[in-house]
Amino acid sequence: MAEDVQVQSDVTITGSAKARTLHLKTLRKQWQIITLQIIATAALIGMYLEVVSTYVVGTIDHTILFSSIESLIGSDLPLGKWFTGQGRTGLARFFVPLAIGLVVGGMMALVAYQTPKTQQRLKLGFIITLITLLVGRLILGWLTGMIFSFDIRLPDDGELQTLEWPLLMIMSLLIMFVYLLPIIMGSRGIWGLSKKSIAWAIGFTLLFLGIHAILTFPLIKSQLGDYGGALATLESQISQPTIGLFGIKLVTSEQFDLILIAVLILVFQESAFGVIKYLEYAFRLPESCKRDPEYVNQMDNMLNTHLMHTFGFLGLTGVATMVALGFHSVLLSLVSDTTGSQWAGQVSESIELSLTYGLVISAVMFLSFMALLRYLIPWQRIWGFTYSLRNNNPSENEKPEKEFIEF
Amino acid sequence: MWTRKAAFTFTGGIALILIGMMISNNQMMILGLALIAFIVVNSWISGHGDVEVQRTLSADNLYKGDDLYVELLITNRSNRKTQLLEVYDNIPHEMKLRSGLNQMRLNLSPGESARIRYVLRCPLRGHYSIGPVSLRSRNTFNLGVEEMFVDHHSDIVIFPQIKEVEEAFLRSRTPKMYTGATTLRTPGQGSEFYSLREYVPGDPFKNINWKAYARTGELMVNEKCRDAVTDLYLLIDSRDIARIGTVLKNPLEMSTVSAASLAAFFLKRRDSVALGIYGEKLSYLPPDTGDKQYFKILSALAGVSAKGEMPLQAVTNSLSGRFSRGSPVFVISSCEGDGTVPAAVRDLVGRGHEVTVLSPSSIDFERLVSRIPRMSYEVLKLERQNRLTTLAGSGAQVIDWMPDMDLSQALMQVRGY
Repeated sequence: MAEDVQVQSDVTITGSAKARTLHLKTLRKQWQIITLQIIATAALIGMYLEVVSTYVVGTIDHTILFSSIESLIGSDLPLGKWFTGQGRTGLARFFVPLAIGLVVGGMMALVAYQTPKTQQRLKLGFIITLITLLVGRLILGWLTGMIFSFDIRLPDDGELQTLEWPLLMIMSLLIMFVYLLPIIMGSRGIWGLSKKSIAWAIGFTLLFLGIHAILTFPLIKSQLGDYGGALATLESQISQPTIGLFGIKLVTSEQFDLILIAVLILVFQESAFGVIKYLEYAFRLPESCKRDPEYVNQMDNMLNTHLMHTFGFLGLTGVATMVALGFHSVLLSLVSDTTGSQWAGQVSESIELSLTYGLVISAVMFLSFMALLRYLIPWQRIWGFTYSLRNNNPSENEKPEKEFIEF
Repeated sequence: MWTRKAAFTFTGGIALILIGMMISNNQMMILGLALIAFIVVNSWISGHGDVEVQRTLSADNLYKGDDLYVELLITNRSNRKTQLLEVYDNIPHEMKLRSGLNQMRLNLSPGESARIRYVLRCPLRGHYSIGPVSLRSRNTFNLGVEEMFVDHHSDIVIFPQIKEVEEAFLRSRTPKMYTGATTLRTPGQGSEFYSLREYVPGDPFKNINWKAYARTGELMVNEKCRDAVTDLYLLIDSRDIARIGTVLKNPLEMSTVSAASLAAFFLKRRDSVALGIYGEKLSYLPPDTGDKQYFKILSALAGVSAKGEMPLQAVTNSLSGRFSRGSPVFVISSCEGDGTVPAAVRDLVGRGHEVTVLSPSSIDFERLVSRIPRMSYEVLKLERQNRLTTLAGSGAQVIDWMPDMDLSQALMQVRGY
């Protein structure tokens, strides 16, 4: 038995297959990792567009802010209209800024892979460019003016006016940056493998939703006057459900948008953090393990499962939330159908039930029931049975021959 | 069990629902409900540790400083996937990972196996046990975690290192004692014929005398004479004081190395070797020869730890009656903190034994871990020299063994006797 034990083996190639290892350089190109990153990016874009279309477009979007500033200063802002999306309508206002945000985030991710020295140089270059942009023309004009007039003086109005364009430019860029913060930080986090950036993207989105929620609270909104009137509010609960499953209408389209935002946040978070989690694990493995086919094989297993669960469980989360939100109507129709009493009719018409409390209580009831199903239904056996059904063909069950040999 | 992430998600979900209800905000309520739904849906599937673990070691016994190759085979015997399972093979803290890793994250399909291979360096002698195997299963999104272990142990004995001992260094004043195998007229393991006796179950077949069987019709076996030069007695001091120094370099470690090396040397020459270890109590291994005795001695030395304050005189008083007449005795002791050493040595010499005291210099070991002022060191060293001179005056061969000195080098001090 003892002689069977061998030293941790290296891997070699047989045939035309390439050696697979868990080195970051190789792993980053693995299809599961790239797929997870693409899913995260798609979820980020989807989440952003959904939030923007629900709360921002036409009410507090950047084009409205830019137009207000332009009318205030009486001239156009330095950023081009094609860049800001001014002049377009609806969500189209965000398409170009969104693409630019993704490019900026990607560039920041690219910078993160450079050596510290290169990063430092790039940062220094950026700061110098910004300073030159801001005060370059002023200093140049002012100094040359003093040289030619043989005079030491403060800058005159004409020279100070050269500050206007750079200041407006930087302000416009800052505004765009704030609007695109989730996209920039999110894409930087996904492709630059930065947990902090992903947290920033999620945190900023949640912060925006929180502030929006507080500002649209009727008491506060009334205090805000015209500004409050500009904020989008959702009257989602008293309208009739239009979206559902298997012919049962469960939620309104507004509620569906909100569910979509929540699920996309979760998809973005789990995919982006998942990639970092697996790469971190691979990075910490010693060299011999990175080359070990067993570790490579198990990494594949983990990534495949993560991909499947991302679709399966997060999709189910969305469905469960939908059913939970529509559960009160199911309950009421059940009561009305079974008893046919006047009480059921009164209750179903009760505005109180359709509004917050009834909805939430019924939704929580449904989720509690679902949680109880964990104990009532032997899920583990069901999963096992499903798995065995799927792999009942022995020829399918047999794993393909490894691409590696050990020696 | 819920992870911190699950607890935060749940708390966040509830908080969002409550705040949403308070300010009649749908987005907050729906976000909160989605978070709760996320936890609920994920609770339907959980990992498991229903796996079979099999550990294979490259050896059951090793010498100090050797490498141990370990292979852990994990097989999923259930009919469902394990989900994210972290496997961690617990290794004694005295052992160091040299290559590979004693842990792996895996997700095994039903019937699938994974192998963890790693190499351990064993820098300290002793009896060790590798295991149990700790398992931690999580679901994909790290919302639930369960810790368990497989009670699978593999025992291993790390013997003291064996140093090469040259024969020339161990010549005795009475040469015939160490000149090679002579037969003793007693039955035992050896090469020369002693007598014939009847076969008893358990006797090896190779010892059956077939001619005698053909002649008498009864199974007869050959008995051999026991080969031995002499019986050698090793007495090791494992008192508490023997731990002075570092973990790797202390009088006890040096004593075990020297005892193992001497035992290996003499047993190879087909001598009988006995071992006495004294500290908290006295353990005694009667003289015997052969590989079995060698294994017994190494096992006993592997388990030695520094404890107790038993004086050498008590040892010699209880054992001297068992010592063969005129046989050599090796006392391996730092001779510190035991005023009975000179009397005990004198007693052994008086009984006709050739006594060799191999004394690791405990003062120099102490210097490895603490600063001793030069003057104090000189005084202590002088005291030690006086003690060793007294022992030499009693008729023993005394070897002052410095920490940086090799065993062969130390034994050279008795060369010429």
